[in-house]
Amino acid sequence: MKTDGSAAPAEPSDLDLVQRIKSGQEDAFEQMVDRYHARVYSLSYGVLRNAEDAEEATQDTFLTLYRKIGTFDESKKFFSWFYRVALNQAYSRARRRRPASTVPIEDYLPRFSSDGHIASPELPDWSASIEDGAIARELAGRAGEFIADLPPAYRDVIWMYDVEEMSTSDIAETLEISIPALKSRLHRARLYVRQRLAEISQAPAQEEVSR
Amino acid sequence: MSDVTCKKFILDLLVDYEDGTMPAEERALFQQHMELCPPCLRFLTSYQATGKTLKLLKPEEIPPDLARSVLAFVRSRAGKKT
Repeated sequence: MKTDGSAAPAEPSDLDLVQRIKSGQEDAFEQMVDRYHARVYSLSYGVLRNAEDAEEATQDTFLTLYRKIGTFDESKKFFSWFYRVALNQAYSRARRRRPASTVPIEDYLPRFSSDGHIASPELPDWSASIEDGAIARELAGRAGEFIADLPPAYRDVIWMYDVEEMSTSDIAETLEISIPALKSRLHRARLYVRQRLAEISQAPAQEEVSR
Repeated sequence: MSDVTCKKFILDLLVDYEDGTMPAEERALFQQHMELCPPCLRFLTSYQATGKTLKLLKPEEIPPDLARSVLAFVRSRAGKKT
């Protein structure tokens, strides 16, 4: 993920834009919207799973940027700060729609015997089924629902890393957590989603085998 | 490290293997375990498939007028031109 404005010499950096916005230059705010609206929308969509809500959350996020940019500490990375603003906007909207989830993530983690071998019930290997684009999209949709049920600490990390493909350093800075903590949350979230996908794939996989 | 178990493989090592931060020597042991342990290999395959599936989750399209609607919204709420 490129956020430091170094992609092309002619492009102003995020910090350049921030300073110009603070000094009241309208075109700088327009450039910031142009640069980040798609990414903020994508993040909002991930949290809200609804296009209309995601668009409204994106608007709210940029309004907050406009109003609060004076509080941004220029020694920090702008995008990390702004991503957090966007996350807060999306969560605030999500909380109005549904209560916070309490999915028992531990129930979906793999189990092991006392000698350290896998003890979870064997599920069909569904991984080959994603070669079919339609099945893959269906599974992705279900995965999105599963992620939405996760506690925010896990949901943020798996969305940023696996969906948004942000770097670990950017995620760690945005969420203000260590890299080991990030990786631990990411791994547990993936184990959870993997298990849920395996369970829903069980029936189609068996039908496929019997054909 | 012949005592590497499935549990260690899946809970402690898998995430480092996947993101490429695992040291080469440990990676070789990891791959050796994978070759000898079909359940772990199946687990790895479905773990990787989970990652591939999640990459399909980004919204397929961004509303075409989004940037314009954002600017219009901010200007109307801010009470002045930005």
